[in-house]
Amino acid sequence: MPRAALALLLLVALPVWAAAPKDLTWSEMIPPDAAPEVPNMTPLHDMSKMSDALSAESAPAAKQDLPNAPVVQSLDGQNIRLPGYIVPLEVNEEGRTTDFLLVPYFGACIHVPPPPSNQIVHVKSELGVKLDELYQPYWVEGPLQVKASSSELADAGYQMDADKIYVYELPE
Amino acid sequence: MYLFRLAMASLANRRFTALLTAFAIALSVCLLLAVERVRTEAKASFASTISGTDLIVGARSGSVNLLLYSVFRIGNATNNIRWDSFEHFASNPKVKWAIPMSLGDSHRGYRVMGTTEAYFEHYQYGRQQHLALADGRAFASDPFEVVLGAEVADALHYKLGDKLVLAHGVAAISLVKHDDKPFTVVGILKRTGTPVDRTLHISLGGMEAIHIDWHNGVPARGNGRISADQARNMDLTPQAITAFMLGLNSKISTFALQREINEFRGEPMLAILPGVALQELWSLMSTAEKALFVVSLFVVLTGLIGMLTAILTSLNERRREMAILRSVGARPWHIASLLVLEAFALALTGVIAGVALLYIAIAAAQGYVQANYGLFLPLAWPSEYEWTLLGGILAAALLMGSVPAWRAYRQSLADGLSIRL
Repeated sequence: MPRAALALLLLVALPVWAAAPKDLTWSEMIPPDAAPEVPNMTPLHDMSKMSDALSAESAPAAKQDLPNAPVVQSLDGQNIRLPGYIVPLEVNEEGRTTDFLLVPYFGACIHVPPPPSNQIVHVKSELGVKLDELYQPYWVEGPLQVKASSSELADAGYQMDADKIYVYELPE
Repeated sequence: MYLFRLAMASLANRRFTALLTAFAIALSVCLLLAVERVRTEAKASFASTISGTDLIVGARSGSVNLLLYSVFRIGNATNNIRWDSFEHFASNPKVKWAIPMSLGDSHRGYRVMGTTEAYFEHYQYGRQQHLALADGRAFASDPFEVVLGAEVADALHYKLGDKLVLAHGVAAISLVKHDDKPFTVVGILKRTGTPVDRTLHISLGGMEAIHIDWHNGVPARGNGRISADQARNMDLTPQAITAFMLGLNSKISTFALQREINEFRGEPMLAILPGVALQELWSLMSTAEKALFVVSLFVVLTGLIGMLTAILTSLNERRREMAILRSVGARPWHIASLLVLEAFALALTGVIAGVALLYIAIAAAQGYVQANYGLFLPLAWPSEYEWTLLGGILAAALLMGSVPAWRAYRQSLADGLSIRL
């Protein structure tokens, strides 16, 4: 009986849920059972390692920490609202960005590796958004698509066809 | 209505001053709109030049610099990158396609770009449109073949089969030419409205071949010369290229590959996201844009103040006119609205003439601007923003017209009748 009640509740709640997008945070996009990152405790500027500078030159380049980071499959198809910074990929003639990557922190922090693939959303928008500043955060609303990792190629990750994009204001 | 007729008749009586005033407003309106037009069109044409490219890679310099020379053919590269670095990243599993580019030579002021067939296949502009040939074919195995951009073919009247000689450096008049190795026109591209129209495309092998006997920065002399036929039989794999464009399998991996390229141990390189670099370019230009806009706004203001001065000075000599109107029954507000109408009519004439002037100027200069600056100025209707600007000018004129109106309103009937002319 309680199960049936729950199902009924879901049935009633679902349309409401679909109408109002759910606020999502970036940490919810990492599966809770994902292995926690082991912090690499090397200090950024360690004088005793100055002799390693040359050997670092010949070492391979820093890799994206998790190029195929695990994604939360249950988010697929959900109508969500997510705040983030916009990295434009396509700009149309009217100067509106129609294709972009949404990331949790602004741009080029070159001190740490780039964000893992489960912290990037590839967003497409028919209308586009007029970007004035790269460091302006935006809310993006729409159904989220989750693509599971299929191969070595970094194909996995989150995609979205945005319904609404608007400026993120600081909550007062 | 009769008020309007009266205002018109009064203006017609002072037609020379009135025309000059309207002309001053027209010029300022034309300037304001022209600045606005050029600004929006420049942005639009910049934005529609590149599409579908995920990363542009060149020697380490600045992101805006790399974008400008690789895509817009503005400025020059700081350094070349090695061919094996290109091959290293072109074969990366994340990369779908790669277009190498080699720049630095010219033909009568138009840039020459060495590239591969991948350019015609993968380069996109506007809304993900591909390049298309209007005539002929893309260059093939022979190194001495060239594919022209539409503008180059038009301006220099080249057709398929013509021979042309490329020059060293990027000046319009070049003193050092690769004249022992002429190129044959094999294809002409369709017009794109982008810098592609002003580019001559040759194969990387061709780029290598024309420089093959340049050893000390000058063409070889005497026996050192290598003829075109000899060059054909040599290994023309390039040693270095200027930049390359990458398309990725998944956009999500853009950052990862960008970081990989930037931290590549083989040689210092820079990878940029074209959209981000464009955005940086806008914010760089926005200061200049704002300055231009403010200057043109002040020019409009000057035009309107000129009108105000003209009306205010005329008030004194029109005291009798006002008095006569009052004596035949016009109320003070009639006189006031007469003056406001006059200001409005002047401003309206100015605005209309200004817009007309702008369109005449665009129609006259369109071809020249397109050929020389690669900027296409369409004869389009004013945008919503431009209408707002025009409306604002008219509103400002009405506001200014109320100053003489208020003064005339205050002048008494006796004032006009008692003066001796």
